[in-house]
Amino acid sequence: MKQLALFFGVFVAHTLVALPRNLVESTKSGTIINIIYVAIIAILISYLIYKLIKNFSGSDIIDISEYLGGKVFKTIIGIIFISYFSISSGILLRNFCECLKIVYYPMTSLVFIILAFIVTLYIVLKFNFSSISKVNLIIIPLVLISIVFLFVANLENFSISNMFPIFGDGLFDTFVTGLGNISAFGGIALLYFLPPYLQEPQKTKKVFLLSMLFGAIYLLLCVSIILFMLIFLMYTNEILPLYSAARYIEFGTFFQRLESIFLLIWILQVCCYLAIITKISISILKKVTNCKYEKPIILLFTLLIFAISFLPKNYAISKFIESSVNKYLSIGITIFLGLIILILANFKKRVKNKIERIS
Amino acid sequence: MSFKSVLSSLFTFKPDENINKHNFNLIEDYNIKAYPDDDTAIKEPPKKIYPSLSVNLEFMKTRYNALINSDIIFREFVLNARGKQYNALLVYIDGMINSQIMDDFILEPLMMRNRNNLYGGSQNKVISEAVANNITVRKVKKFDLASYILSCLMPQNSVKRQTDFESIISGINSGNCALFVDTLDSAFDIEVKGFQQRGIEKPSNEIVIKGAHSSFTENIRTNTSLLRRFVNNENLVIENIEVGKITKTKCGLCYIKGITNEDLIAEVKYRINNLGVDSLLSAGQLEQLLSEDISIDVPQTISTERPDKASSYLLDGRVAILINGAPYAIIMPAVLGDFLSSPDDKNLKKTFSNFAKGIRLLAAFVTLLLPGLYMAITSFHQEILPTELLFSILASRENVPFPVLVELLTLEISFELIREAGLRVPSPIGPTIGIVGAIVMGQAAVSAGIVSPILIIIVAITGTASFAIPDYSFGFHLRVSRFIFIFLGYLCGFLGIALGLFVYMCMISNSKSFGVPYTINISPLEKVNGGKFFLPPIWKREYRSSFLNPKKEKKQEDISMEWKKN
Repeated sequence: MKQLALFFGVFVAHTLVALPRNLVESTKSGTIINIIYVAIIAILISYLIYKLIKNFSGSDIIDISEYLGGKVFKTIIGIIFISYFSISSGILLRNFCECLKIVYYPMTSLVFIILAFIVTLYIVLKFNFSSISKVNLIIIPLVLISIVFLFVANLENFSISNMFPIFGDGLFDTFVTGLGNISAFGGIALLYFLPPYLQEPQKTKKVFLLSMLFGAIYLLLCVSIILFMLIFLMYTNEILPLYSAARYIEFGTFFQRLESIFLLIWILQVCCYLAIITKISISILKKVTNCKYEKPIILLFTLLIFAISFLPKNYAISKFIESSVNKYLSIGITIFLGLIILILANFKKRVKNKIERIS
Repeated sequence: MSFKSVLSSLFTFKPDENINKHNFNLIEDYNIKAYPDDDTAIKEPPKKIYPSLSVNLEFMKTRYNALINSDIIFREFVLNARGKQYNALLVYIDGMINSQIMDDFILEPLMMRNRNNLYGGSQNKVISEAVANNITVRKVKKFDLASYILSCLMPQNSVKRQTDFESIISGINSGNCALFVDTLDSAFDIEVKGFQQRGIEKPSNEIVIKGAHSSFTENIRTNTSLLRRFVNNENLVIENIEVGKITKTKCGLCYIKGITNEDLIAEVKYRINNLGVDSLLSAGQLEQLLSEDISIDVPQTISTERPDKASSYLLDGRVAILINGAPYAIIMPAVLGDFLSSPDDKNLKKTFSNFAKGIRLLAAFVTLLLPGLYMAITSFHQEILPTELLFSILASRENVPFPVLVELLTLEISFELIREAGLRVPSPIGPTIGIVGAIVMGQAAVSAGIVSPILIIIVAITGTASFAIPDYSFGFHLRVSRFIFIFLGYLCGFLGIALGLFVYMCMISNSKSFGVPYTINISPLEKVNGGKFFLPPIWKREYRSSFLNPKKEKKQEDISMEWKKN
């Protein structure tokens, strides 16, 4: 359950910022079909990853790369994954903080908002990974409840006709160009690092497939909210799409603006995401450099994320990086690079076994 | 932590000391060695008792500072045994012994000549006699004064023969008397305790409706007997351990053999045996000395004055420690859910108990977060409030000259002052202080325009919620922590609260109590067999808390209500 929640924690954080809107923008009314389509592909990929990784029980992609190409190759792969995680989390942090600034802190400098997260991250990273995953296990149900609540409470604002035409701009756009939406399942990257954390390795297959399945259902829920409320959300293009949807929830005259409660839960989730990703990055660096101590690296990583979050000059560039650059990074690194390493490592193992059998 | 040390921790590297630190895990690691291989501490061998009475007398007088100590009594007399007379000495502390027992069952039999003492002094006792071929074979027992006194002269149920001074002195300190006899290199530790003590009374802090109405007292033996009465099984083990180099306070380590995890028992023994303190005077001190994580001030052991609660935990597979002189038992390990549970929960139907537990959980959140949330909402998230309520709050604050933070802190600190004063003032006027403080001062503060009425409501709700927390230490922890959330709410609204809450949750999740993760039974998705925070119906409580890794997992049959089967 903890591993499932870990995957979910990484997956959910991206949906809180701009992912659902990016998906809807790319495939229009065909998003629902597109998500089902890419979800099936993502499930197949995760099954493939499971099949390939099970031959290296208890090893993650870094160990497998060492097996494949030695220490130098391990270091290169480690640096690639660290860079991907750092860029991905830094940009997510920037975008989330930009939205927070627009919504609640227009007079506050962005540095202070980001710094608040960075300080929290620095403190939290001093605790062990297990405590972060336990907190994630507490927060994930809250986030899921908040999304389901968001869906149910907005039912009256839904316009089901928004999902028609069901194939959006056409079959090509939905199924060929729309294949790029598989980047929404960028959380697959975490699957490469889960095996050492699995307490029951025999359940790896279950964890892998269930993660994808629940992720798909969750994504479908988020996308449905945005798609069915498209008219309302068009006017609030600058901020978090799910937050914008939360602004339309009303219960009588007393509860009219509940969005800040949602934001409270989502901030917790973003913190969880940052902590999980950074902890994994630290573990990669420790593996690559054979470093014994973790604490000095914590400051390094928090500063790295802080610096990356300030790389984009403005919110527009930051949004572009998230919707375009990060999208292709995600596909390239998590799907292609990871799978190629696993396939080659399996091939090497098979050849090695054959040679051993012959000799 | 000073500013300099914070700075140096940021920019300099020190090897992590925690790597070699003692780390006990109950669930994950079964192979941990609880006891160290060798005892490196150099201990002096116990001083043996001398055969000469005068030497023993001098030694005891020196140890007890007899020249300046007024309540140490050295009673010298002549002991009669089999017509022979021996010089003897009784040592005891005045006020701690029962004089009647001392006169009737020690001094009288030892000093008076009675039937047992009639025949010759050093003659040997013939045990058996047999005649074969005109030769008489006699089996004789040589006269042994010590065993003669023990078996014939002392009609006392609890007498121990000791050969070293430490054991004898420990007995005297706990209310026994010591008997030294000339020519003997041993002494007798005779139980004649008779000091005044409190009887078994109703619990004052953990009141229940449907449970037992008895509580622990200051006497360890009364407490162990209370536990025995509830557990009523020979597998209840109560081991004696002394804590404190000076006080040598007697502690009873209680567990149920066959249920409690051996590693857990070993760990508790290891910790308690490795306490380098001079004195131990209360359960609270031991509680702190046994806690592994000092960075966060949540209690890591349960403290209870109820023997039924302690017994229930023992039967679940936990370990309890009783301390002589403290009317509390300390139970370990403790998880977060335990501090929000009342002993009455198990006596009520699951709907009622779970409702009460839910209320207490809510109370914990209210105590911790309500003032901070109020601060965040009024400073940053006003839109969350309905317009009418917002107007009402604004109107009530119109005459208040202070910012919300000052207003809230003034009231919160005043509330804590009243609470503290209520504890200190003499009992007849204690409740009056609370009423005077709450009504008169609150009303006066509102009239004077120092605080707004809505804030009085917020502080009152927070205060009331803090009283709903069953555990005093945990309630205190929440009360202190809420001030941090007030500042975070003031600084950056919900963002501050969320970030603070995240750090707080990570800290709590990082804590362990005797190898058991602290939040194990709170997380809704955590797989735990038995011991979950919300109780199932009584017929479904088949398992002991799996996080305790007990030797016997089940505590009742699959179908506990067998009478329903036909």
